[in-house]
Amino acid sequence: MPTAEPKVVVRDLRKQYGEVQAAQGVSFEIQDGEIFGLLGPNGSGKTTTLECIIGLREPDAGAISVCGIDARRHPRDVKQRIGAALQTTSLQDKITPREALTLFGSFYRQKSAAAEMLERFALGPKADAPFDTLSGGQRQRLALALAFVNRPELVFLDEPTTGLDPQSRRELHAEVLRMKQDGHTVLLTTHYIEEAEQLCDRIGVIDHGRIIATGTPRELVGRSTARQAVSLTTTPGLRPEDLALVTGIEDPVWDGDRVRFTTAAVSRSVAALMTLVEARGVAITELQVRKGTLEDVFIELTGSALRD
Amino acid sequence: MDAFLQQTAISLRLHYRNRMALLYSYLFPLIFLLAFYVLYRHERVVLARHMGELLTVGILGGACFGLPTTMVSERERGVWRRYRLAPVSTAGLVTSTVAARYTILVSAGLLQLAASLALGMPLPRHPVDLVAAFTLVSFAFIGLGLVMATMADNVPAVQALGQCIFLPMLIIGGIAVPLASLPDWAQHVSAFFPGRYAVQALQACVNGAGIGAVGFDVLALTIIGAAGCVAGAVMFRWDAQQRFAARGHKGWLLVPLAAWAMVGALSEATNRVATTPSDQTVARARHADTSLPAPSGSPAPVVAPPGTAGHTKTVEQARTPPDRPPSAATPPPGTAKPPSPAAAAAPQPGATGRTGNSPAAPQADVTGGPGNRPAAPPAPAPAPGPATPPPVKQPIAASWREVTRSDIDRDLTFDHLPSDEGIVAPIAPAAEEPSPEVNQQLEAIAEGLPKWGPARVPDPVQRARNILYVAAVPDVLQTELERFAPAVVFDELERSIPKDDLIKVLYWIALHPMDGDHSAIEQLPALGFESRAVDVEEARERVALYAVKLLGRLVGAIRGR
Repeated sequence: MPTAEPKVVVRDLRKQYGEVQAAQGVSFEIQDGEIFGLLGPNGSGKTTTLECIIGLREPDAGAISVCGIDARRHPRDVKQRIGAALQTTSLQDKITPREALTLFGSFYRQKSAAAEMLERFALGPKADAPFDTLSGGQRQRLALALAFVNRPELVFLDEPTTGLDPQSRRELHAEVLRMKQDGHTVLLTTHYIEEAEQLCDRIGVIDHGRIIATGTPRELVGRSTARQAVSLTTTPGLRPEDLALVTGIEDPVWDGDRVRFTTAAVSRSVAALMTLVEARGVAITELQVRKGTLEDVFIELTGSALRD
Repeated sequence: MDAFLQQTAISLRLHYRNRMALLYSYLFPLIFLLAFYVLYRHERVVLARHMGELLTVGILGGACFGLPTTMVSERERGVWRRYRLAPVSTAGLVTSTVAARYTILVSAGLLQLAASLALGMPLPRHPVDLVAAFTLVSFAFIGLGLVMATMADNVPAVQALGQCIFLPMLIIGGIAVPLASLPDWAQHVSAFFPGRYAVQALQACVNGAGIGAVGFDVLALTIIGAAGCVAGAVMFRWDAQQRFAARGHKGWLLVPLAAWAMVGALSEATNRVATTPSDQTVARARHADTSLPAPSGSPAPVVAPPGTAGHTKTVEQARTPPDRPPSAATPPPGTAKPPSPAAAAAPQPGATGRTGNSPAAPQADVTGGPGNRPAAPPAPAPAPGPATPPPVKQPIAASWREVTRSDIDRDLTFDHLPSDEGIVAPIAPAAEEPSPEVNQQLEAIAEGLPKWGPARVPDPVQRARNILYVAAVPDVLQTELERFAPAVVFDELERSIPKDDLIKVLYWIALHPMDGDHSAIEQLPALGFESRAVDVEEARERVALYAVKLLGRLVGAIRGR
């Protein structure tokens, strides 16, 4: 397959559940070797979009091409070449990771040996333990191992870290970065902004069933008109009437000795603030200046904060 | 192919790791087997006549509980959703699930068969046919299980649905309760359930004429199975999120329902519903008479000395060891004997013309009525008189005319007959008044008997057999008449056959219950009987029991009337 051709092309995907429009014309492309994130709040349509691509759901309209195959007409051909891990992976209580990997391997033309997968996903010690005795992290690693058992060209991860403890989450992040190094193409959905920022080459922000922005994290932040945020704590605290003398300060919020505000001209505002601090003879205990983040971009784009 | 084998193997392995599933698949059919064994312990051949019912119960349980429960629980937890991410087809998943279930059903069936053989059942007559019939019945019920799995949205629902099908089928579908003892309406209802066809198809292979003789049942099961499998496949859903009620394929539910209705209608249209004495049940039993290895020596409806345990009641098995004195010889005529609710006739050593050198384990109890089991050992038997023959090989009388009093004393005891108040061979006390309706029936019988063809045949043994059927058949069918018919029958016998002959004839019948002709059963409607199917073997046993009961009265061993 020529690298110039996108691995995934989604055009005007639509899916409705009763009255609810889960996807209202979703379109995006994923290039070969790219890690692409669908970022959006719960109910934004990211899981529906992913499930339509991997053949779990039949879209109402739209075109989906995966590895150059029409996914709506030949879903089983697509399934041979992709791997996927859903938000939760349920297997029978008493099946062991080794059995599951052997069984799922038998479904594919191309497969990796169960032992190899157990080794790669650090499941060796639990290879013959029943599924119901595995921890959340172990289950997630088994889900990933199952997604990789057919040596997929393309991997789909639906909310891979939701519900994982911090340690398992870090391990998973490392695993996704390894996929990137190995040259896999990955589509992941997430509602964690840091996760998208940290892992993804490109992000599609999705809300209300539509992609509202696409680009690298840097591009998205750069495109933002967001102001910078400043937080200052002094002992004793400054007075509001003092702060009114400083130009460029907007929306100050007082919290005891601490004040937070935004500003479009951070250097000038901070310099004026220092002068004021010196004039009043108070001590600075904390000063923080934060650039615009993906979260700010997201709020700007969607008009609402991400709900966890 | 690899995927299919892997999937089937995993399904089986997981099944054997699940203790509850094992309980359902194996323990449950064995419990039924045990229940049937106890229920039918007085039958001549252990369980053979109920193998069809037993195997059907096992298949029904496995296919209508085990299969859909496993399927629904895997689907609802999302296991299938994970399968669906892989290139697995619906057909692939369903066939491997069905293959695994079929393997489980076969192993459970073999277990039931092995247990039955161990308990003394003879080998099935048509083993190859039995495999075919078993497969067909599995197919029919697995189809049903697939439909149930698509209908139920969760495990409790599938279990409830299972009960709704299982219990009626067991009780009025001809599986746990013999069709012949069901009221007419239930027999008609049963024609619309697959259970009765399953029982008949399997039974024909165990002690009947094989699967070739039950073409209609084969057809019925095929139709029901095919409809279930097609509807189950069309309505199949992978995902817990696809609720049954919200899906468009619900209409396919009509397909299996239509199949059941069609089979029932066909059965009605071809007059297969009511089991009349001339239909297959009798044919089956007739066949059974010859097909099953009858014990050498004549089986008699008799019981063994108390304190022993066992299950069958053939003369052979009820024989006491040779070195043991007769446990309860018949007292001489006229000797007053305390009334016993359960007189019994037990053959003595030598009755069969063979040395009794086997450590027989005869049964202690025929009817299970509480009156049958003496709390204490019976009163010491009268000292063996000269009539008691030495327990050595002794030829049985060659014809009924040669029967002597000593034969009777030697071969029969009357202490352990089923109670007159029980459900087997009951006799109402003389003082008890029948209901006006029964009274009317009795009058009709008393009036009709002397003119009834079978009661006028020249051979007194056959004549007595025929007349005794008038009491035996209501007993088998457990109609209200059963307790009152014996009096009329005894009167007619005493009227028709001189007492001395009658004693010999009754002895002869008691020792040869499976001899002679039973066509009289089919002529009972001439006496005002309803035309209903009767298990011939059972009727013959009851004839012999009533013969012993009357004999005991005639020789004074039983007080009564």
